[in-house]
Amino acid sequence: MSYSNVKKSLNEGSLILLDGGIGTEVLRRGVYWRCHGIERNPEAVRQVHVDYMNAGADVIKTNTFQLNRRAYLSLFHGLEHMRRIGPAGLEDKAGKLVRQAVTLAREARQQAGKGSDGVAIAGVISPLEHSFRPDLSPPAAQCRADHAEIVEQMKSAGADFILFESMNTISEARAACEAARASVLPVWVSFVVREGARLLNGESIADAAKAVEPLGVDVVAVNCAPIADITAALTELRKHRSGPVGAYAHIGRYDPPSWKFGFYPRFSGTDQIPPAHYLEAAREWKRRGAQVIGGCCGTTPEHIRALRDGL
Amino acid sequence: MTDRYKKLKSRIADHEIVILDGGIGSEMLRRGVTWEGHKVESEPDAIRSIHTDYIRAGADVVSTNTFQLACRSYMNHFADREHMRRIGASDLETRAPGLIREGVKRALEAREQTGKSDVCIAGAMTTLDWCFRPDMAPSTEDMRAEYCETIQAFKDGGADLMLFETFNSTKEARTALEAARDLRMPAWVGFVCDWKGRLLNGETMPEVAQGLAGMEPDVLLFNCAPVPDITLALRELSRHYHQPTGGYAHVGRFDPPDWMFTDEYPPDQYLAAGRGWTELGAQVIGGCCGTTPMHIEALKRGLPKVLPA
Repeated sequence: MSYSNVKKSLNEGSLILLDGGIGTEVLRRGVYWRCHGIERNPEAVRQVHVDYMNAGADVIKTNTFQLNRRAYLSLFHGLEHMRRIGPAGLEDKAGKLVRQAVTLAREARQQAGKGSDGVAIAGVISPLEHSFRPDLSPPAAQCRADHAEIVEQMKSAGADFILFESMNTISEARAACEAARASVLPVWVSFVVREGARLLNGESIADAAKAVEPLGVDVVAVNCAPIADITAALTELRKHRSGPVGAYAHIGRYDPPSWKFGFYPRFSGTDQIPPAHYLEAAREWKRRGAQVIGGCCGTTPEHIRALRDGL
Repeated sequence: MTDRYKKLKSRIADHEIVILDGGIGSEMLRRGVTWEGHKVESEPDAIRSIHTDYIRAGADVVSTNTFQLACRSYMNHFADREHMRRIGASDLETRAPGLIREGVKRALEAREQTGKSDVCIAGAMTTLDWCFRPDMAPSTEDMRAEYCETIQAFKDGGADLMLFETFNSTKEARTALEAARDLRMPAWVGFVCDWKGRLLNGETMPEVAQGLAGMEPDVLLFNCAPVPDITLALRELSRHYHQPTGGYAHVGRFDPPDWMFTDEYPPDQYLAAGRGWTELGAQVIGGCCGTTPMHIEALKRGLPKVLPA
């Protein structure tokens, strides 16, 4: 199993390289952003994974950001309204896409020749509501139930471990990690942060680290914020956690459309942070104790290659 | 009030049937234009030609391609304003009014191009938060300022009236109508209805009539629901409300982020539904998501010219 290699590296204290942005990269390649490109452009999604592996990533993330039942349900007045005006099968669409996305990552791994003892596949699960809107996070019991369902989808499709990514409240992160424990899959959790080493709702990264400590997660990371904010949050995280920590920043500026259909992964001005510049930041994270380093929205295989060559 | 709107208003007072256009966002998709950014600026020809097609099909009123364009639409993607400034594109705070003005411009150009100077341009604006989620509506105080700001952009752009569409509560409708009145913009309101003859927030038609008392829009419509649901809502409303009404249904299925086109209501059958609405007293008839210029052409051809006695 691929994760045993990852676990070994974690234990030995060696660096693990994550891939970079998935959604932004799929979009950058001109894919029509429908169902994450999974249904209409599977070959493009697969190629993004292959390119990240060829660039040197040890872990690739599935193209499953915000794919959950609720992401569709929230666009309707409720289940009954969804059934009345939505197409048949919409209730199960997210689960179906999750499984397809994991399959694409596995096929890509095979295509890249990085077989079962090589690259590990992280099943990415994001907050149930928009990752930048902690105020919309559902009650903990609902979080546990919904996350448990997605973990099961990830597991049955063959993800090697779960990466709860861009988590925005301690409560949902805790519920998600609890839900994953029953699956026996290894778990990483990463928090979206803002200035001052805080989560988006103002909770401190110190409190977040303490809250997930007893839950047996292998890695705690910070992601989806500009480099400077990631550096500050990582520094604080390191102080409050003895186990492995990680960091991956976004580059450019989030440029969402007005129409509100979940997270449309558009970032503009990403050329402001070319690979060499990103490598500088990553070196600093490594000095500050990050053992897992990669890229979030806007980063490309070239950024990951620069990390592979330079870290 | 523009002269052409005065003319339209007197036609309505004379019980004439008025034709509204059909779907815009769904029509973009049908023509292979993605709708993420409204495209009013980046693909002006595509948007303009949708308007001209609707005008040529016989629409008396065309609505702008500005659904869900308010400052809040961008803000909602972020934790708060500070977060938006920190990580968002630099123009997000002013993008909505800019796109609104461009959107109105495309409709004005279409009117100019077709030479149908009587056609009224309706500034289309939906609820400040998601139209199907009345539970997410902001506070009345917040809404008030945002409506004023947004309506002003439509007015500056040259719209003849506001079409508040896919509204989900009389509370938000009242707030929008008050803002329009203060800015001297005529306004119509379209409510999205459920399948039991109520608004999405559960308000019944007597409650709608009561909720709008003293602040009635020039036309009250139902939209963005399947044909039978619009029919039911119009029937219910007709028992409690005696001002001009209208309806425009969607055809197909909301398959976010796409529209799924179905053949449940081809133009002739949609016309039959529209005729049924005029028999319930509805005077303004058009189409919502999934309807096309062919649907509007059928309405123009087949609907009576005045309300049935």
